[in-house]
Amino acid sequence: MKTIINRIRNSEFLTFNEVLRLKVAIVTIFLFIFVFLSIPISNFNNFILDINILIPILFALSLMFTLVFMLFNLNRWAMHFSIFTIIGLTLFYVYGSDHFYGYILFFVTLTVIIFYQDIITYILYGGAVTVVGVIYIMQNGSSIVGINAPGIEISSLTYQIILIGFYITFLVQFIISDNIYEKMNNEWVRMNKVLEKYQDFSLEYLKEIAEEKGEELLYKNTKFQQTISELSIFINEFFEEKGENIAEFVEFYFFLHDQNIEEIINDKKVPKLTREYATEFKKYLMNERSELVSILFNFSTLFKGNSDYNEKRYEYSLDKLFSNKADKLLSLAILYKYLKTEVTQTDKWGKIERVLTHDEITELFVSKEFREFISFEQVNFYLDNQELFNKYL
Amino acid sequence: MRQDIDKYQFPQLEIYKESLELTHLKRKTIIFNLLVFILAGLVLYFLLQMHIETNTVISTMLMFIVLISINIAFYSYDNDHYHNLKIAMYISTMGLYVITTSLILRFHTPSIFTMLFLTYAITSIYQDYKAMILSNFSLFILGILLILRFPTIFEIIGNNEPQTFFILVFLIVFVVLLSLSSYILIKRKTFFYNQLAQIKESEIRNMELLLEIEKIKTNKTLNVEKYYESFKLFSKHLSKKIGIENVFERKIELLKDLKKMDIPEILSKYTEYSLEEVNELKYMELEIQNKMTMIGIKASKSYGIEVSRKEIFSESQFKSFKHFGDNQYVKIVSFVLFYTLLKLDKPYLQKLEEQKIKDILLNSEYFYRIDRDIINIYLDNNEVFDTIVKDHMKEAK
Repeated sequence: MKTIINRIRNSEFLTFNEVLRLKVAIVTIFLFIFVFLSIPISNFNNFILDINILIPILFALSLMFTLVFMLFNLNRWAMHFSIFTIIGLTLFYVYGSDHFYGYILFFVTLTVIIFYQDIITYILYGGAVTVVGVIYIMQNGSSIVGINAPGIEISSLTYQIILIGFYITFLVQFIISDNIYEKMNNEWVRMNKVLEKYQDFSLEYLKEIAEEKGEELLYKNTKFQQTISELSIFINEFFEEKGENIAEFVEFYFFLHDQNIEEIINDKKVPKLTREYATEFKKYLMNERSELVSILFNFSTLFKGNSDYNEKRYEYSLDKLFSNKADKLLSLAILYKYLKTEVTQTDKWGKIERVLTHDEITELFVSKEFREFISFEQVNFYLDNQELFNKYL
Repeated sequence: MRQDIDKYQFPQLEIYKESLELTHLKRKTIIFNLLVFILAGLVLYFLLQMHIETNTVISTMLMFIVLISINIAFYSYDNDHYHNLKIAMYISTMGLYVITTSLILRFHTPSIFTMLFLTYAITSIYQDYKAMILSNFSLFILGILLILRFPTIFEIIGNNEPQTFFILVFLIVFVVLLSLSSYILIKRKTFFYNQLAQIKESEIRNMELLLEIEKIKTNKTLNVEKYYESFKLFSKHLSKKIGIENVFERKIELLKDLKKMDIPEILSKYTEYSLEEVNELKYMELEIQNKMTMIGIKASKSYGIEVSRKEIFSESQFKSFKHFGDNQYVKIVSFVLFYTLLKLDKPYLQKLEEQKIKDILLNSEYFYRIDRDIINIYLDNNEVFDTIVKDHMKEAK
């Protein structure tokens, strides 16, 4: 239980799959309560004894399936099974008795489906549950009319509208959160790619620095390789008796640095396991801009750039940075000059030695992506006067 | 060991996160009010259908009108929009529960009791921590009070046993599940605001890092004098071509002076410019400020980037040492590489002391980028890690 609470508290750091697993675990706990409750509730319902015994057993079996799927990390399947169980329980409670609490279960079932935060699942299962709820009220509305209700019709209509309203409102919530989530995610992924480009250049410079100094590359250093091996063995000893089993994999990791890794991954003659390890290790190679390199660069930024925040700190549009027309034009000239004179591109050998030409800059300026930096008005101005830009900057 | 996950958070993030959230809060406020408006219409329809006395109709509608008016007032007041909308959100959450409770107490039927669930759904549109706590608390307390104090609400025709125990259990399950659901959703959403703000800051820092490494490699800085000279020449010809007075020259002089003069001196020399104008012009200064250099770097690298839908929701986008499906050996080796590299001098980062590494790995997001079992082994045995690296690497570097 402590682990579950800790995982909920830190759920933002979990992967999608881990979050889904956590949710299934929580729902399963609640389902156990419901299945347990279905035993005393059998006393109030209208089913025959056989059904009252059989159904809770079926629910228990369904829960077992959910747990088995979870054990095998088939979390989506586990999710579907938990939903089937709660829907089954709802129908059992609702159609077995004439009590108001049965009707509340429609809301509880929708809540379970909402809990998974998956829009398609919600539309399909949630929609089906809502339709069943509305039909139930049409057929059995008279059995749950309050003694103070003005009539069956008003009572049924109230039940139906509130259930549909509940479903639609959460659907709206889903659409909003999906929309926000998607937009933020999109922006984040795009930014990540931009960062990777900066890091590509940083790594290339570092390689060139090491080459110029004639330094031995770290991943070729035997002492470094031994350190990695020793530390890996030390950790692995906590997981398996023969901790040194990992040493061979460390060796393979360093071996990959001198190989064409793509060839290994795509070569069907190479054993599948080797290819799998190569694919997984590729993310952490030291001689290319891998995840490891990116994480290291990002880590080092903890110690950089501590200038204060101002509202234009993350603003890169010349149009928004400057309000005066002359300033906008002057800043456009600075940007053009920077792109034309500073080395910002790699040559055909991958060395950072190239500047952008006038034609390339023009192509960039008119491109859609460049609206992030300059407005249409600035582009038009540039196009009208590009010969001056080219000649004097 | 007590963990403080925000200890190594970039200090610039908070204000930016607010501005990100404000955009969404505005939209949610509008949607909330639209839903309340529709609800008011439905309630009016039912009240008229039931031929309820005019006073009740008017008082109920008045409550809806007051609620929507409060929202409009807070929305229109532009100063400190973020906090205004937050206040409106709390008032709206409470207000809607007040309206619902008054309707339940007025009609005393089980069907109208379910309106509490609808109210919860409408308030959940906000997806905000405090609003969520307020809404869950209201639903829980009001639900329990109504069930225990007014059990007759749940009495149905032909069945005088309201089974309040089961209603109570289901209500508790409903509230707990929805609370957990909102909690996880809001945590993840907040995490994304944080990630987005963080990556904006990280971009600036990565550009600075690139400039730093570039400087080590090329040993060159921007030739500012050459820049200003070419701008002078350019502006002279440009002014001539478009037939205007050369307004740029004075600005270029000012930009050059920004390096050697402070703002009061600049303002006294360039009396034609206000402080705001000078502050804007500062962004173009090339020696002390690096705004234009940043724009140049970003502009030179940002093209040709495409994001597919598959990538948006892919776990692989999160850089870590614990990718789902990766072998345990890979998770171990990747972490060990990262750890060892932190302990070695690099051109862009000096080696870090053991205590510093441990502190960062424990109190930052990096804690969550490493497999839980592996990071725990490290935190419990960091002296051993330190010794192994020192023993092996003392001759290497």
